[in-house]
Amino acid sequence: MPVPAELVGSGEGDDPAGAIRVMVVDDHPMWVRVVCADLTEAGLCVVATAADGAQALRRLAAARPAVVVLDLHLPVLDGVEVTREVIAAGLGARVLVLSSSGEQQDVLEAVKAGASGYLVKSASGPELIDAVRRTAAGEAVFTAGLAGLVLGEYRRMAGAPAAPGELLGPKLTDRETEILRLVAKGRSSRQIAQRLQLSHRTVQNHVQNTLTKLQLHNRVELTRYAIEQGLDAE
Amino acid sequence: MFRGAALGYAVILFIGVQDDYRHPWAAWAVLAGLAGWSALLTLWPRWHRREPAMMVADLAVAVAAVLSTRLLDQPERIHQGASTLPSIWPAATVLGWAIWKGRRGGLVAAVVVTGADLLELGRLRPRSAGNTVNNIVLLVLVGLIVGYATEVVRAGQAQMAVAVAERAATAERERLARDIHDSVLQVLGFVHREGTGQGGAASDLARLAGEQEVRLRTLISTGPIASPGLGEGDLSAALSRYAGERVGVSGPAQPVLVALDVMKAAAGAVAAALDNVHRHAGPGARAWVLLEDEPDQVTVTVRDDGRGFPAERLAQAQAEGRLGVSSSIRGRIEELGGTVEITGTPGEGTEVELRVPRVPAPPRPAARLGKRWR
Repeated sequence: MPVPAELVGSGEGDDPAGAIRVMVVDDHPMWVRVVCADLTEAGLCVVATAADGAQALRRLAAARPAVVVLDLHLPVLDGVEVTREVIAAGLGARVLVLSSSGEQQDVLEAVKAGASGYLVKSASGPELIDAVRRTAAGEAVFTAGLAGLVLGEYRRMAGAPAAPGELLGPKLTDRETEILRLVAKGRSSRQIAQRLQLSHRTVQNHVQNTLTKLQLHNRVELTRYAIEQGLDAE
Repeated sequence: MFRGAALGYAVILFIGVQDDYRHPWAAWAVLAGLAGWSALLTLWPRWHRREPAMMVADLAVAVAAVLSTRLLDQPERIHQGASTLPSIWPAATVLGWAIWKGRRGGLVAAVVVTGADLLELGRLRPRSAGNTVNNIVLLVLVGLIVGYATEVVRAGQAQMAVAVAERAATAERERLARDIHDSVLQVLGFVHREGTGQGGAASDLARLAGEQEVRLRTLISTGPIASPGLGEGDLSAALSRYAGERVGVSGPAQPVLVALDVMKAAAGAVAAALDNVHRHAGPGARAWVLLEDEPDQVTVTVRDDGRGFPAERLAQAQAEGRLGVSSSIRGRIEELGGTVEITGTPGEGTEVELRVPRVPAPPRPAARLGKRWR
């Protein structure tokens, strides 16, 4: 089993032509080893690993990964913050959250901060590899668990009366709700496309939209908050 | 503290009038006895434990001191409403009792001391009545108020102790969760991942490790701690227990609080549906549980990707009155005013959808229910 060094390939050219560059961030060496072995075996290129959030951000620029496979439970800087920073860095890296169940609130925060998808740690090797490939291709990795979370978040925003001055949360269209519910019940986008007589692509666009709206709303809220704090400080 | 001051006051009062007493030297002896008793109580640590015997003895001393006035003073002075020999000293006893047993203790001691006062007086006379009644009212009030204050403070302390204990328990739980996350879970995850696909016993071990990993994670999950009110439960937590290798559970990130009856019925119905999946959906079938939190109801869906069944079969089975699982699910949910919808397509699995009001409503008439479902 090949064990990658901490920083395997720091320059271009180390990866076989066209291989997807992946960075694995987790504070458990054993876990990192297994994931790296699986990814390498599948022909992906693990360009860096990191054991905590700050380390991940330090290595990001040099490693230039296409996908960051990120554990949320990290020392120094937690996964949600790392997600926010990776997206803000603007290096084109996408974040795939690999989380334990029972961290639902954190998963939701990471997704709102810009993560492209989430997979539970108990997912099988092939599932992980497929998810990394799809993330690299720009698709949202929308598992049933994530769909349930996103549905719940939209419902929460619809149910909570907006405080004065607060922005109204985004809403789902009927079609988006319908599709999210089908995803949350374990159907693949192909099955959904067939059932609703839509193209595969359309279904994925709908799904992607629900995420984008959440992320946009989150960013606007953060900006508004920052401005308010800034104005108060003067 | 109060005893010392009260005794000093009594002594000063007595010095002023000692020549009027029938037996001044005996009165001095009584005051000396009170001083000794006060000192004993203050210095003797057992006092702090508020032993019943000590408290009763204290009350007896106070009563005796009050009654001694009758023997030692001039009857004329007593009838004129002169103060008793120990003066305000017995109030200390009332305070002690109030602190010991709360309002009730304060009241009992005040009544006993008052009784002694009245006995000492012999009978009420117009000249002395006003003064005495005032004193009695004050004494009873002191007993009640101090007793009440003591109770409030004690209750506050007890709540504080509970809160501190809860915080310690939460901190401990978090520490354990971190520990387990950093050790056992990693190993289980490793075994699960490495063993899967190796075939034979290794695969079985991997599957077992995977299942236990999910269980343990759920157990130590550190999501927002729900604070359900009395008679409420978090349905989200209840359902997450069913997550496993072949069962995915999804829902909102926040706890979903529903009436306890609703939680139990919904969780029971989900368990029955999942059991049905394991038995009939065929080997390798997977299941998904989705919990949706709507304004006044919750929707729980259990779907599997197993064999499914033709629509006619459900109707037929129902007509023949044999539909064990389905009826046990319906029974639980309809009792709470909810509805159940079961759909199946051959080759596409089965879907059971439960809609239950958050707070149980009386079941609707059967005829209307029938219309709503079909």
